[in-house]
Amino acid sequence: MEVLTGLMHGFGVALQPLNLLWCFLGVVLGTVIGIMPGLGPPATIAMLLPLTFLMNPASAMIMLAGIYYGAKYGGSTTSILLNVPGESASVVTCIDGYQMAKKGRAGAALGMAAIASFVAGTVGVVGLMLVAPPLARLSLAFSSPEYFGLMALGLAMVVLLAGRSMVKALLATLVGLWLAGIGTDLFSQTSRFTFGQMELLSGIDFVVVAIGVFALGEVLANMEERGAAPMIEVPKGLRNLLPTLQDLKDSRFAFVNGSVVGFLIGVLPGAGSTIASFISYGIEKAVSKHPEKFGHGAVEGVAAPEGANNSETGGALVPMLTLGIPGSGTTAVLLAALVLWGFKPGPLFISENPAMFWGLVASMYIGNVMLLILNLPLVPLFAQVLRAPVYVLYPLILGISVVGVFSTSGSLFDVWLLAGCGLLGYLMRKLDFPSAPLILGLVLGGAMERALRQSLMMSDGHLSILVSRPVSAVMLSLALLILLVPSFNKFNTWRLKALDS
Amino acid sequence: MKKRLLCMALLAASTAAFAQGFTPTRPIEVVVHTGPGGGSDLLARAVALMMEKEKLLPVRMQVANKTGGGGAVAAAYLAEKKGETHTIGLFTGVWLTNPLTSAEAKVSLRDLTPVARLVLEPALIAVKADAPYKTLADFVGAAKQKPGELKQSGGSITSRDNVVRQQLQKAGGARWQFISFPGGGERIAALLGGHVNMMVIEPAEAGEHIRAGNMRVLAQVADARLPAFPNVPTLKEAGFNVTPVPQVRGVVAPPGIPRENVAYWEGVFRKLTQTESWKKFLADNQFEDGYQDAAELTKFYEEFSSQMRGILQEAGVKTVR
Amino acid sequence: MKARSADFWSGLALGGLGAYIIAVASGWEYMGQDGPGPGFFPLWYGIVMAALSLMLMVSSVTGKDGSVIDWTGARSAFVTWGAFTLMVATLKLTGFVIGFGALTFFIVSVLYRKPVKVAALTAIGLAAGFYVVFPLALGVQLP
Repeated sequence: MEVLTGLMHGFGVALQPLNLLWCFLGVVLGTVIGIMPGLGPPATIAMLLPLTFLMNPASAMIMLAGIYYGAKYGGSTTSILLNVPGESASVVTCIDGYQMAKKGRAGAALGMAAIASFVAGTVGVVGLMLVAPPLARLSLAFSSPEYFGLMALGLAMVVLLAGRSMVKALLATLVGLWLAGIGTDLFSQTSRFTFGQMELLSGIDFVVVAIGVFALGEVLANMEERGAAPMIEVPKGLRNLLPTLQDLKDSRFAFVNGSVVGFLIGVLPGAGSTIASFISYGIEKAVSKHPEKFGHGAVEGVAAPEGANNSETGGALVPMLTLGIPGSGTTAVLLAALVLWGFKPGPLFISENPAMFWGLVASMYIGNVMLLILNLPLVPLFAQVLRAPVYVLYPLILGISVVGVFSTSGSLFDVWLLAGCGLLGYLMRKLDFPSAPLILGLVLGGAMERALRQSLMMSDGHLSILVSRPVSAVMLSLALLILLVPSFNKFNTWRLKALDS
Repeated sequence: MKKRLLCMALLAASTAAFAQGFTPTRPIEVVVHTGPGGGSDLLARAVALMMEKEKLLPVRMQVANKTGGGGAVAAAYLAEKKGETHTIGLFTGVWLTNPLTSAEAKVSLRDLTPVARLVLEPALIAVKADAPYKTLADFVGAAKQKPGELKQSGGSITSRDNVVRQQLQKAGGARWQFISFPGGGERIAALLGGHVNMMVIEPAEAGEHIRAGNMRVLAQVADARLPAFPNVPTLKEAGFNVTPVPQVRGVVAPPGIPRENVAYWEGVFRKLTQTESWKKFLADNQFEDGYQDAAELTKFYEEFSSQMRGILQEAGVKTVR
Repeated sequence: MKARSADFWSGLALGGLGAYIIAVASGWEYMGQDGPGPGFFPLWYGIVMAALSLMLMVSSVTGKDGSVIDWTGARSAFVTWGAFTLMVATLKLTGFVIGFGALTFFIVSVLYRKPVKVAALTAIGLAAGFYVVFPLALGVQLP
């Protein structure tokens, strides 16, 4: 079978000692970068490009890819321990991960993140290996109306993140949509809500808002009770520092959910790991038997998004390797690297460069295993960070936030925005507005508006295009269903109450 | 005779001494408006590598990414560094068009010191391989018969993609829709998926899809045929009397720098464009050599701005300058 | 009539934002020749925002919950935020290491009321740590 021979060939390449070394270097570097907020794979890969000219391309690709998926493993560390998203895709992990840490289950959260990442990452590679070309062709049928459906589905997840007040959650989402729209409108080049500030022309960076609202907001909120809890509990004993068997059992579906959702969304050019993690989280909460636990430390709430953002790497490589179309920021840089080395990524790439493709696939399997072995023992070590007294931890969080934000853009303006978002996060907490919907609105807002306008342009103004195409119709119906579920439940309870009396 | 020779020798020596007036003594900052891995960033890194390889500079070049505002932040940063002799910037077409449409983008090339224009980026007009259009005239003709129905995927409304569309629409008396997508990948996906009919694409992006038989090229947006596409007619050859508005990249420096400094930069970049590494770079990336020195660049900028202003206004985009 | 609860004021603020958005968006093109213009989306979510804010205000006045916000600890939070913002404002002058060190010292000594020695140690330790890890080891610039 073609796939098996290819894979054998690939392992032949990947298992060479030098390539194993490059793979190891790549995943370690990736993990470190993932842990550091603000530093991301695209920047690091771009900086290492000149170095790669001294290596043979297959080895170079193995290393760079290692950085790519390694970073996804590392991103969860600061999210769980400090509520600071290490990478934009790790924002969702903050929601339940940090809550688990506050309850003394940081080790379990970190361990679960690693395991979920491993399972999903491997599934992603399997997907890449088996279904890449046909899936890529299918993905071409996906265009703006379908994207709109996907975004609408994502936004409908708000309902599941709502908490007590639906009105407040919706309001938070709308503010997120507004923030997403700040900047230069793509279609007409009009500046919207920029208040004359040049730095706002390209919009507000989502990482700034996420770190501000989550991390800073949390620190400020904790400043209120400084007398009370000097330290976060970290239970002793190795047993408590890793996920329990029960945790693993609870997360069975999350593993599947994360892997599949992440991979499929990764295949779509333009939809990224952040969207994948939100949708996977939403699905997990929707099918859970105890949805009220989410947001307060449900272990599946860590497993699903972490899995999703890892299998997304496999997915994003599909359009890159089969069509030469980059699916995300990092794959764009990897694509540039391939071109620089003299390759021609495109539909003929895999057939003409089997050694490169299969070598890469095999190295990804190996890399995922390496990362699991690397990360699990480090979990107890990382969990110790939380033993530090809060008056050390909180300034640390403030510092990391500033450095993280500044290193992404080099602009002081963004640090100001960070301060503003910190205040916003604090106020939202006090006034009982949920912050996850705000982030969701910010992430999806821009893409959703673009998809809607593109769709209407394609259909010459007829909204029917959104329902006449099967895929988008399905997504929109799902979204509608999700939005109606709570009202349905309320109606049901009312009906039952009425029947009782 | 001897006296004349002596005079000439003295003149030559003094000119050489004058030209030696500026030599960089610390690493040079190259400002780009994209993040690492973006177009300008990769170009800057390539230039830095070539400078080292050809030993054109006594110091290193360091890339400084000043992202934001679609180029406005980088331009403003350069404008602030008045008189700084060790900083230059790599500009692209957006630096030229942004000040025309955004009130917030206050710094234009006029506020900076032009150094050189380096490359022109040609483009191709492509359709899906199974489309019924075999020539550009076919497409424009079809668009003429069904005004507003055919669709083109492209970047923003001020991008070169739309400029080509405006020019072709005017020349052919036709009208078709323009749908903006933020990334090259999405534009190609839209074309290959059959959601749009045509796009303007860069040769480097198109190469593989053409080879795989998924795309067909109708014409090239260039003044002369590219070596990689000898059988594809240019716009003029395809019957459209349209002068392509070039998509350019070049070098600028902060305002208020001494003349020896500008002359030095000019000299270095002129020498760069004459090296073998540069020629190979152009060929590999399918760029056209568009070298112009500072004076020619200044003239080009004025012509380009007024031309763009006209085209944008016709396209219905509000210009603020 | 019950005292205005916090929800009422939030609703009012958001309603104001919604109204602002509607006003600005109406100034932009709603539907262009080719498709929706820049005013299309903002107008709609501005309207929904205003409507929901109204709902919030109404429910806060007529509602059963009326949970009162506990503002007692808020002063410390605001003070911390103020200090943080001050640090950001002075970053250009003092650079990150000094600014952050000062902020940490302030937080530990004033807000946590720890002895000066502890505060100083923490401040110096963390600031030095940042200096070592970021610019030296990783080559990342600090503000």
